[in-house]
Amino acid sequence: MKYSILSTLLLIIVLGIGACSKSPEIDDNTMLDGDKIFDPSLYDSAKYLVSVDTDGLPPTTAEINTPVVIVAHGYSATTFEWDDFRTFADKNGGILISQVLLGGHGRTYEDFKNSSWEDWQESIMDEYNALKAKGYNNINFAGSSTACPLVMDLLKSRKIGTNGMRHVFLIDPIVIPSDKLLTIVGFLGPMLGYLETSLDTAEEGHWYHFRPQETLQELLELTEKTRKDLETGYFLPAGTDLKIYKSIEDPTADAVSAVLIYKGLKKHDRSNIDVEMLDSKLHVITRLNGREGVTQHDRDIQQHVFNDMYQILTH
Amino acid sequence: MGLQAQSDTTKVERLRIIKGGIRIQKTQKLYWENGFTLDLACNRIHDYRIHFGLSYVSSRLGSAMGSNAIKQDNYIFSTAYHFRSKKHLQPIVRLNIGYFYADYEDPIFDVLPNTSLIFGLAVGLAYEFDFPLTVSLNAGYTLTAGNGSSGPGTLYPIYYQMSVYYTIFDQSK
Repeated sequence: MKYSILSTLLLIIVLGIGACSKSPEIDDNTMLDGDKIFDPSLYDSAKYLVSVDTDGLPPTTAEINTPVVIVAHGYSATTFEWDDFRTFADKNGGILISQVLLGGHGRTYEDFKNSSWEDWQESIMDEYNALKAKGYNNINFAGSSTACPLVMDLLKSRKIGTNGMRHVFLIDPIVIPSDKLLTIVGFLGPMLGYLETSLDTAEEGHWYHFRPQETLQELLELTEKTRKDLETGYFLPAGTDLKIYKSIEDPTADAVSAVLIYKGLKKHDRSNIDVEMLDSKLHVITRLNGREGVTQHDRDIQQHVFNDMYQILTH
Repeated sequence: MGLQAQSDTTKVERLRIIKGGIRIQKTQKLYWENGFTLDLACNRIHDYRIHFGLSYVSSRLGSAMGSNAIKQDNYIFSTAYHFRSKKHLQPIVRLNIGYFYADYEDPIFDVLPNTSLIFGLAVGLAYEFDFPLTVSLNAGYTLTAGNGSSGPGTLYPIYYQMSVYYTIFDQSK
């Protein structure tokens, strides 16, 4: 989720509020926003979702007792955001990964534009229900950025209830956006129409290039709701633990988001949830694939987070 | 009787107007932060067009009362220019300089910035009634808001505020 409302605002002012409500110019051959490139999980769901049968047989006893981690990406991203963790899990074994594609994502600009945050959330619930129906009894969750408030809402509403999930990992959860001008997207958005973002070459095709203002308003509504829920305060369902990993400097999800969650969300026994602040300036350090300028320090932190999650899941 | 504010060999500046009151402030998409404010004006400075202010607003007196909202304080010194200073309705422009503090409460978060300089601008309208009350409505923009890389995350840029002043002292007339 890399955008700069400020720079866009300045551009609009300079140009005299020009191409406000126009549709973006989408290159179908290179951009996810077009009608030629889609998230691969839409073609090969069995590769991405544990709940999808590959052999037509019910899961074995060993399989239903294996920790399954539903992993979900952030705003405007795709399943690609969790490929690094899948690679880690495949190498280490002992856990299964279900890479969920959020509703409205990984398809076309119009699909994204017409989606609500409830649509984004639905695929998490769908996979959770499908795993439950198949008897999996060690279900866990790891989400990055916008996926975090989505699952927090499911836990608060008890759509995922007692013993529903064992461990929940939140990577750079967004409650407070770093770019505070997102707060005025309600009246700037209709003038802007959409925001264009810059992607690294290897990221092209895995993130939407254009962010419709309607979806930014959805994002704002979701973060607002999450903040207010936390101000009131709530508890995790019984049998669920939660840990936050948060970059200290984050250009997308302000690090203070972790403070709000820590204050407002407690374990079922009223004790504090776990938080680890990471010495990083990257948003969602668990995804390094496709980034330019990755350092050994970044790789070390990513490895540390993966190892820590793995330890928690398998012990 | 006036309070001495500034002097030189030939003339004496005196505080001629002192107003005190309450301030109610809402940050765009964040907290209610309420508190107290003081407004001062001297006679020789542009015919009461220049005002100085001191104010304290905090979520402790707003959103953080009985909730998990972050407890945060804003201490502000301001200089304001009042247009139409002899009329009831006075447009205002204001420059704010101050200090922001947020209490994150747990040592885990000591690595995060929780203090900041406040520097910003505000515009608004004040209405002076014939009786000793003044109501002021303002909208402001803080240039030093947190941006994820620096500054406290709950120091937001845009806010709206209402101040109600009681005239404690007035020797302007």
